[in-house]
Amino acid sequence: MTPLPFEEQVYWTVIDIANAFLTGALLGGTYAMIAYGLALSFGVMRLVNLAHGEFLIVGAYLSAVILAVVPIPPFFVLVFVVPIMFALGYGLQRLLLNRVSVQSMERRGMSANFGLMAPILVTFGLGIFISHLLLSIFASDAMSIKNNLAFSAIRLSMDLSISTLRFIFFLIAIALLIALTIFLRRTALGRAIRATSDNPTYAALMGIRTDHIFAVALGLSLAISGVAGFMIGMTRTFQPFDGPQFILTAFGVVIIGSMDSLVGCLVGGILLGIVQVLAGTYFGPSAQLVGGYMLVLFVLAFFREGLFSK
Amino acid sequence: MSTLARRGSLFAEAGRDGRFPILSVKGLSAWYGELRALFDVSFTVNPGEVLAVIGANGAGKSTLLKSITGMMNRGAAAHIEGAIEFQGRRLDKLRTERIVATGVTMVPEGRHLFQRMSVEENLLVGAHISRAQPDARRKLDEMYALFPRLAERRDQPVRQMSGGEQQMVAIGRALMSSPALVLFDELSLGLAPIVVDDIYERLKEINRTGLTCVVIEQDMKKALSVADHVIVMLEGEVVLEGAPHELSEAEITDAYFGSRGSAHTP
Repeated sequence: MTPLPFEEQVYWTVIDIANAFLTGALLGGTYAMIAYGLALSFGVMRLVNLAHGEFLIVGAYLSAVILAVVPIPPFFVLVFVVPIMFALGYGLQRLLLNRVSVQSMERRGMSANFGLMAPILVTFGLGIFISHLLLSIFASDAMSIKNNLAFSAIRLSMDLSISTLRFIFFLIAIALLIALTIFLRRTALGRAIRATSDNPTYAALMGIRTDHIFAVALGLSLAISGVAGFMIGMTRTFQPFDGPQFILTAFGVVIIGSMDSLVGCLVGGILLGIVQVLAGTYFGPSAQLVGGYMLVLFVLAFFREGLFSK
Repeated sequence: MSTLARRGSLFAEAGRDGRFPILSVKGLSAWYGELRALFDVSFTVNPGEVLAVIGANGAGKSTLLKSITGMMNRGAAAHIEGAIEFQGRRLDKLRTERIVATGVTMVPEGRHLFQRMSVEENLLVGAHISRAQPDARRKLDEMYALFPRLAERRDQPVRQMSGGEQQMVAIGRALMSSPALVLFDELSLGLAPIVVDDIYERLKEINRTGLTCVVIEQDMKKALSVADHVIVMLEGEVVLEGAPHELSEAEITDAYFGSRGSAHTP
């Protein structure tokens, strides 16, 4: 094989890098969606939700089931998924997780260590329960959400194109970030959520019902995860036990960004996406995840609180 | 105070000076786990007055305020016994957020502002209860009139402000809920003397609008200068009570330091 002329080598290098940055950044939008919910529940109530991955999968199954029953265009399913997931999150926090929250453990005089462990163990158990429940309902066959956008691409130049879906998801991730920021800063409920996140004891002294605020926070977390689950279902197949691989992605994103910053999630997601695609381009597909986790390790080593820690 | 009689209040009897109290505390004891911090504390507060609670560190003053605001109703970690009644409603079984909704609020020791939020956001959070929300903007203007310095810094994060300014935010935040009773915990602690004078001027101004105040203070002279009534606490008990003009300085000092013998050592 004769080597390519120099100009062509430069051209393809530029295309490869441009493609990695574009595809990776757009992938980052989906990663941010996967991580927002985790950061929100941790930011507001110090809850490390180990069932987060399973909730994403629940969102995917819920979308698929509704679309199988109701004949609507795929994106319209979110009109159902978002409120259902919100209600699920609100109820779970109110009926189960408020009883074992870090704050309620403190009230009962439990040690700081045990107080932190209790909600972690409960959500771990919840995750196992959810995946087995999904298995018993849907069996282990892979499912996906059928749509005609899955293979559609937007062509930017002769050799450069982006996935239409990833582009739409990226826009949703940015729009959601803006909407959440406005909600948290400009509304009474949003301010109450931030006050509770800052200090639940003294938020109660403002007349804020912190149990309700916690429930709203997990409701929002699951509603966003429902959208993220829908995105997962639109772009790949999923099974009942796929939760853990997504919580790993979510943890990677929040480690790079910050455990409690939504902007951090978006930037963390974009960085993770770019590094993964770059690693995949130059070292083969098997290097994608390794490259991503090397970035996670690098951030852990040098910026222990994430790049966007407050 | 017909509400008192109508609700069959425990305290539907005329209190001190023949007036019906706005707040009555009867037989209040408090525990942190096994450790008892209050011993059978009883007193009343009349509407519109300033009650000063003075006493040394560890006398139980802050525990008393935490009990009134429900912050001691925390199960195993801390609990109270006894009765607390505000405007004819029992508070001692209510949670903090419900107590605040009845019209009691507190400026906590150490201020405990919401550090990641601006001055204006802290104030607006103070108006969270549903009764206060429609009026929040008007109350905000009132607070800026009371503390003009806060108006200049409304968008500044509170963590960048001086101790005195933070105390202004804490007071403003408490007043945003339009309370009938405000509890001030260690109002002057850690503030420069000139700031303390200013804060006390504001307290008088607030009290003149008819608001009832309970002030906890280490600075005895400051407390006596604003108080209509004083209680002195020592090791979890009320050891002296009266109007400032009825009590001699020697009497108060004795009670404060427990010179007549400690309350719990034989």
